[in-house]
Amino acid sequence: MNTALSESVSEAALNFDVLPYEVEQFRDAARNFARNVVKPRVQDLDQAPAAHFDWETVGHGHRIGLTRAAVPKEYGGLGVGMLGVATALEEVAAVCPGTALVFGATLLGQAPVLLSGDPRLQARFLPLFSGDEPVLACNAVTEEDAGCDLIIPSLAGHARNVTTARRDGDHYVLTGRKRFITNAKVAAFASVFANMAGSAGATGLTSFIVPLDLPGVVRGPVADKMGYRACLGSELEFHDVRVPAEYMIGAEGEGMAINMAQSNMARAAVAGISTGVARSALEQAVTWCGERVQGGRHLKDQQFTAAKLADMAAKVDAARMLYLRAADKVDNELPPPVYEPAAAKLFADRTAIDVAETALSLLGARGYLRSYGVEKMMRDALGTRIYEGTPEVLALAITDSLYAEQDEW
Amino acid sequence: MPVFPSGEMAVKVFGSLFGVLLEDEDFVARARQEELSVRLVHTKPDCEIYVAPHGVFAGEQPQGPAAITLRMTCDTAHALWMGRLLVPVAIATGRLRIRGKVAKVLELVPMLRPAFDRYPDIAAASGIGA
Repeated sequence: MNTALSESVSEAALNFDVLPYEVEQFRDAARNFARNVVKPRVQDLDQAPAAHFDWETVGHGHRIGLTRAAVPKEYGGLGVGMLGVATALEEVAAVCPGTALVFGATLLGQAPVLLSGDPRLQARFLPLFSGDEPVLACNAVTEEDAGCDLIIPSLAGHARNVTTARRDGDHYVLTGRKRFITNAKVAAFASVFANMAGSAGATGLTSFIVPLDLPGVVRGPVADKMGYRACLGSELEFHDVRVPAEYMIGAEGEGMAINMAQSNMARAAVAGISTGVARSALEQAVTWCGERVQGGRHLKDQQFTAAKLADMAAKVDAARMLYLRAADKVDNELPPPVYEPAAAKLFADRTAIDVAETALSLLGARGYLRSYGVEKMMRDALGTRIYEGTPEVLALAITDSLYAEQDEW
Repeated sequence: MPVFPSGEMAVKVFGSLFGVLLEDEDFVARARQEELSVRLVHTKPDCEIYVAPHGVFAGEQPQGPAAITLRMTCDTAHALWMGRLLVPVAIATGRLRIRGKVAKVLELVPMLRPAFDRYPDIAAASGIGA
């Protein structure tokens, strides 16, 4: 063997097992939080009434930094980037994706402030997350009549009945209603996307940071969801809400681009959540198939079952690799990449559903019982496929990337 | 028509701009602490500038690895420094593309405030109008 060659290969080799030290520390803290704090409560969180929210659990997560993982250190955050966020959320989601999404939605609400590069906005809003008590944020895009119309630029002209913003002196006045907004019931502020009055459809979409204690803000009823029950999705109404002009992000009419940029950031983390769901289902299946004996042999030793377990394990690994690559790219590129996060989310979402379904099938009747938790994974896996880009929206993003000109660097 | 008639003119203006930043002791101290180095790749007209705590260098000869690389047209750079194009909009729309630790970039932007204040005068002194 050529020693010089092998040494150079060794030095250049990618190490898929080692994360940056701070990221690893944070991931381990998230794992302990998930196992020691969330797991004992997970069934209660799932079966409580829709509007129940467990601030105590969130408070524990806040103390290890889950509400401020992506906030720069100078504002009291951890500064562990999307890689830290995504790996931590995989750990929390492996126990309770709803709890993971409480923190993920907060990141999404923070994203426009982070992207703004405006020190005044950052100094006003980011230190909120480093106090003793947990503070949450949310991102308000979706409306009754407008979903994809607000996230795909070519559809913007067709959007209907979108929340409007009109300039009035040194304020903007917001009027309208958002739907399905995770954390809206419990957040301190929202990043809100509103169309400038007089602009067709959503062609004048503009991004604002809106403190939710402003007069005219009404937090609507909580939706009774199939899964993700540890986090609250609700309506958010704006009745002539006067928002200081300096709380606008970027410029009038640039909200669509900002929304896309923050979605591309967030999809890497959501893929981490899906991977957590899939991993958890795999672990349940591995345990069960290693214990259950039928026909004189463990299920794992029967070829048909072994093939399923192997397929599940490979998919979970592949999902993790895709989201790690996506998160690393998000941490090293602006504007955030389109392809890698979309591909990671598309694959991880599908994997979560496939692996949860197979796990449920392998556990047989027990898989269908609430007490084993696999049916919850199935319900949660179906939810992950919807938020931050359905498969159809992700497919458009991915396909656009395939036909886009390559960046020159 | 491009704002800058030549790459040499762009280097002169943007080089002077970063020279201003390097006169700011706080900026230099922070840049050293963060091991901050920036490679600016401008197009239309083409030029490259490398900025590190120890100086501003023009040309395509690499002065060392840059922590952050920014790529944009000279017109985009002019609009940014004039304050007509905001950083989040430039980033979100892809007019400004950046490679390097995003966390470092986000910390860099507020540090550039003195340069934004001085740019109109620096550009005007070289005959580059608003």
